[in-house]
This record gives sequence, C-alpha cells and structure tokens, in this order.
Amino acid sequence: MFSGPRQRGLRLLTHAEWCGVPSEADIISTVEFNYSGDLLATGDKGGRVVIFQREQESKSRPHSRGEYNVYSTFQSHEPEFDYLKSLEIEEKINKIRWLPQQNAAHFLLSTNDKTIKLWKISERDKRAEGYNLKDEDGRLRDPFRITALRVPILKPMDLMVEASPRRIFANAHTYHINSISVNSDHETYLSADDLRINLWHLEITDRSFNIVDIKPANMEELTEVITAAEFHPHQCNVFVYSSSKGTIRLCDMRSSALCDRHSKFFEEPEDPSSRSFFSEIISSISDVKFSHSGRYMMTRDYLSVKVWDLNMESRPVETHQVHEYLRSKLCSLYENDCIFDKFECCWNGSDSAIMTGSYNNFFRMFDRNTRRDVTLEASRENSKPRASLKPRKVCTGGKRKKDEISVDSLDFNKKILHTAWHPMENIIAVAATNNLYIFQDKIN
Amino acid sequence: MEFKLEAHRIVSISLGKIYNSRVQRGGIKLHKNLLVSLVLRSARQVYLSDPCPGLYLAGSAGTPAPPTPQPGEPTAQPPAGWGEPPPPAPRAAWPDTEPQPERPAVPDAPRAVDPEPAAAVTGAGDAFRGREEDTAEAAWGRVDRPRVAAAVAVSDVSPEGASVGCPPTREEQPGASPAADCRCAPRPAEAEPSAPPALYPRKRGAAGAGGGHAGCPALCSTPLKKPRRDGGEEDGEEEMETGNVANLISIFGSSFSGLLRKSPGGGREEEEGEESGPEDAEPGQICCDKPVLRDINPWSTAIVAF
Repeated sequence: MFSGPRQRGLRLLTHAEWCGVPSEADIISTVEFNYSGDLLATGDKGGRVVIFQREQESKSRPHSRGEYNVYSTFQSHEPEFDYLKSLEIEEKINKIRWLPQQNAAHFLLSTNDKTIKLWKISERDKRAEGYNLKDEDGRLRDPFRITALRVPILKPMDLMVEASPRRIFANAHTYHINSISVNSDHETYLSADDLRINLWHLEITDRSFNIVDIKPANMEELTEVITAAEFHPHQCNVFVYSSSKGTIRLCDMRSSALCDRHSKFFEEPEDPSSRSFFSEIISSISDVKFSHSGRYMMTRDYLSVKVWDLNMESRPVETHQVHEYLRSKLCSLYENDCIFDKFECCWNGSDSAIMTGSYNNFFRMFDRNTRRDVTLEASRENSKPRASLKPRKVCTGGKRKKDEISVDSLDFNKKILHTAWHPMENIIAVAATNNLYIFQDKIN
Repeated sequence: MEFKLEAHRIVSISLGKIYNSRVQRGGIKLHKNLLVSLVLRSARQVYLSDPCPGLYLAGSAGTPAPPTPQPGEPTAQPPAGWGEPPPPAPRAAWPDTEPQPERPAVPDAPRAVDPEPAAAVTGAGDAFRGREEDTAEAAWGRVDRPRVAAAVAVSDVSPEGASVGCPPTREEQPGASPAADCRCAPRPAEAEPSAPPALYPRKRGAAGAGGGHAGCPALCSTPLKKPRRDGGEEDGEEEMETGNVANLISIFGSSFSGLLRKSPGGGREEEEGEESGPEDAEPGQICCDKPVLRDINPWSTAIVAF
C-alpha cells in the first residue's frame, strides 16, 4: 500500500456510523480484530459492544467483496455507582480482547474502569419445535390435555447471534483499568490499572493475583503510573508494562511472585534541548504492543511511535514521528486537553508496517522496510467506495501547497485514537469518533 | 518575563484542570492529575526562578535558584500586611480573599500573598518531589532570611493552633497548613515537625497520615509498603486525592482544602467555614490587610482563588 497510487490503494470496505441522538455514548473507545480477522469488535463510551463479521466472498454476492457487517450488538457494561466513595463508574469500554477460538462460540473480554467481563458470542440457527408441555407460542399447555407424546425436532431458523456474560471479574482494581491482555497459555490474562497489575485465571472470578504494585507507601511520593501492559505473544511468563514517564519494564513471572523488580528496563535518554513544561506529559506512553514475532515491541507517546528490540534496553531501534508539527503547539494542546489523548498503535500481520492515529481524522502508516510513511484521512467525504485514499500532507510552515492542510486548520476534535490491523491481510479498521471505517488494500 | 507570564498562565490552567477533575464523571483520573501536577510544578519552578522586578514576587527570597533580590519588595508593601508580627497576619489575609467565587485560578483580584506562596511553593515543590530534606530546608532558609517576620503561614485553618512546622519562622504561625506534607518538611531550624494535625479529619489519607514528606524523614512514611489489603486499597484513591491536593494546598493555602471535598458545594462550604475561623480569630488583622489586598498582581490571585 505504499507503492504507486494507481496500482494499489486503500479502498473503503465498510463504513459504520454510530448514530442516534448525538451523544458522547456513541464515541468508539476500542477496536479489535479477533485471531482470524473475521470478526471485528468495537466498544463505545455507552458501554456497548458491536461486533462486525466479514462476509464470505461468494459468487452469488460478488459485490460484497468481503465487507464487514454487523454481527452482534450487546450492552456490555452499565454505569455504576460506588456508594462508598461517592463515585460514578463510567460504562465506557476501555479495552476488548478476544480469546483464541476453541469451539463454535467466540469469547471476548471487555472491560470498563473497574470490571472485566467474559462474553460468549454464539450463533443459533436451529430451534426445537414440537414441545409437549408448551405450544408454539410458548404458552404452557394444560397437562391434562396432553394425550400423546412427541419428540421435538430441530428446525432451521434465521440466524441469531447471542451474547451472554459468562464471567464477571470485579472488585480487584482500586484505580482505573487501562489494559487487559490474554496470555498465550489461553488460560490466564492480566488487567492493569494505574498502579497495579493483576493476573487472573479465566475460570476464576473471585480471586486474582497481584503481580505488580507500584503504589508508594506515601502517595505523595507518587511519580509515575502504569499506562499499558501486555503479555508476550509466545512466552507465557513474560509481560511488559509502560509508564507515564516513558519507560517500559519487562517482567518475568518466573522470577518472583511479585514482579515489582523488572527483568529489563527500557528507557531512552531524554533530549535536554527539547525540554519544556510539557516534556513529561508528551513522554508518557499511551500504548505498548508486542510485534507478532515477539522480538520487538512498539510504544506510542504523544508525538511519536518507537519500535524497541527486546534485546536492547538503552534506546529504541526505530522512532517514527507522527505529528512533530504539534511540538510548538503543546501549550494550546494542554489547554484544550488534547495533550492527554491516548493514541494507540498497531502492527500489521507480518510486522513490516505500523499504524497509529492523529488529529483531523488523519492516521499514519509507516513501512519499516522501505522507511516510507503516509498520512491518510478517514472521513466520509474522502472515502468513496471505489476510490483509493489519497495521501494527505500537513503544511508545517512557509507556503502551503495545494492540497496541503496547515497546522492551524487541523480539527483537534476529530481524533483517531483507535486503529486495528487484520492479523493476516491488509485490512485496517479505523475509529473516528463515532464512525468506523474499514479499508482494504486492493489492486486496481 | 515572558517565561514568568507563561508559567503563570500554565499554573492557572493547571489548577483549573485539577479543580474540574473533581467533578468529572468517572472519578478523579490519577494519571491525568499526576501529569497536571508535574506541569504545575515545572511552571511554578520557572515562575519562581525567573527574576522579574516588576512583579511582587517574593520569589527573590524564596526561589531555589539564586534570584536577584527584589528591592524591598518582600518586606515592603503587600507584604506589609504580612510583615506584621506574624501570628495572625497571614491567616487573616487568606480568609479575606477566599470567599471569592471562582475557584480555579482566575487572576483578577489582587492580593498580597507572594512571599508566602513563594516560600510555600518552594517547599511544596520540594515536598512533592520528595526532595532531600536539605534542599527543602535550604529553600526555606532563603525565605526566612530576607523576611524577618515573614508571615509564611499560608495555612489552612488548623484545628490545632500550634503551627505544625511549616514556615519555620520563629513566630508561631498558627496552623501552618497541616494537610500539606511539605509544609512540614521545610523546617530548617527545627527539630522534626510534629505530626501534622488532622486538618481534614475525614480525609487524612496520605497527607495526614503521611505527615511530612521527604523533608521530614522522621515523619515520612516508613520504607515498608503498606500491607496490600483491600482496606488499604480503599484508601488509595482518597489518598491520591489528598496527596496531590495536599501538595497544592501547601502552595496555596487553606482555600485549597475545598478541593478535597468531592462535591463542589460541599467544598465551598467547608472552605468558607474554615475561613471564618481565622477571620474571627484575627479581626484586627483583616482590617489591616484589606487595603493591601487590592494591589495585587494576578499571580497571587491565582493562589488566592484557592
């Protein structure tokens, strides 16, 4: 997708808009493909989960081209109230993580600030007919009227997708949960809040193990918080967590029960020349993701994406600037709170490219091999079904060329915080406020 | 000078954010508040270390970085009110300005708080960072020297009259802000500060219990972590609030106590309640201070607003 515009390009596959009375509840807060890429789950601020399924491309419906359509919608979390602390608990879905599929049903974990839930999504396409004790409407029959017995038979019905909560993992976090990550053992997962990381077993809801605790005895000595955590994709004893100070710690659960001492510590020395009031804020890592290979990990801070080699702790092996032109605007971005936006990042299936979002509905993709990068826009006006996305450019100073956008014209309310890449194909999902765009890289 | 102005502006914005975070849905976000407090600290440092003759900043006296001494400022005017023999002075000043409606730092009403906040701020900053006691003490030391009778007590209404430690001024400063950890710390000449009074009996949390901070090693939380219990956890969030806010309190004095309350309404009431205390206590002083309060620079206002 980085070669000539005529040959290949990202085409819009699906556009879904969360509508209704315009409200904050429709803002998408997380996007995640499942392991096969056939399902895409989204969570929003209203606590709902909407799952899209890829249509099978078939001869009978050649125009569908493998689009994603809504598969299931359910309310995962409701607003709650903590009476003890007089705090409202938001229902916003912070993260969704799929479990690897083991049978016909699909399982995913969804979490808000305090509670994690395991959902089972199953299909029902048959129903039993011919019950003895109730008639077709479901009304109970008078037992005295039953004179003969019959065996109910299964008949096909319209496909129904049901979501049911199978486990609820609650009351384990004092602070706001920011990450969940399923372990490669497929039995355990971790959940991280600002100061602690807990390890759970998927079958056990009344207990969790605390594996990281960075809460200082005196809260006034607090200097950093945990911002993201993830298990290694292959080594079930290894996980990493990032901090608000721009550091990443890799921990090995075999070394001790409480992983307060890290095995590796990744930090890039700060460049003193770029110090400002906001240096600390912009160095805070908002997302950390292992590569599929498990050899690298990627971190996102406010202005850049960095790729780290797990074998080298002193500095990242790659640094990609996402929107360096914002460095001179940090004060305004602090005022309007944009500087606190938590952007996510993701790898493609082969780890050759990475993607992350920006403002003005722009998102950026970086090809690690060719070192090329591109800025694209996810918006209705720019996404005609057959046309491929045009690269965009931000003018950072001097004369603005045609088709360029000046920094001052950027719309900071249109932010792309959540993106996801299909695990195997070049299909990407981009969440722009209350809109979901799914693009596919296609040859003309 | 520009740095100073920008720093001032950033401090105002930061305080506003912290204030607003109280009423945000979903509870106080620890991460964001931590970042805001870091910015606040940086801005304050810059503000204090940027010498600027035009402003009434006792900064000259209280800044960590060697600043150019402000000509007589600290002891001159607004501080005049402060300069008075201590005990009542500072507290009187505070209550007077507190009733201002807007909480977030809105620089409008003038007020002479500078020497105080400067000192306090320094201490607070140190505290927040858990600096070495020496640094904190040194900072306080600097504050002291130029101002003999410095009314340093940017203090909350303290139930206990005894000034807990802060501002080391010889005079008894009634109620050095108790909640402020750092307040305890900077006690250059004194022995360990006594345990901070429970200014906020309801929310001791870390601030109260923790007592001092780095500056008061004796008081400091023990090196051992608190046992991880659910009970302890419960305090966590509250402690966080208290801790952060306590630092700010040390900077900005009693008005800030309102921030510990979760409800704005409740907060205000408390604030006013507390203010009435000192006011009643030192009516004379208030009269004295009032005229002075008018000549204030916006910076102080920010502090005053809280």
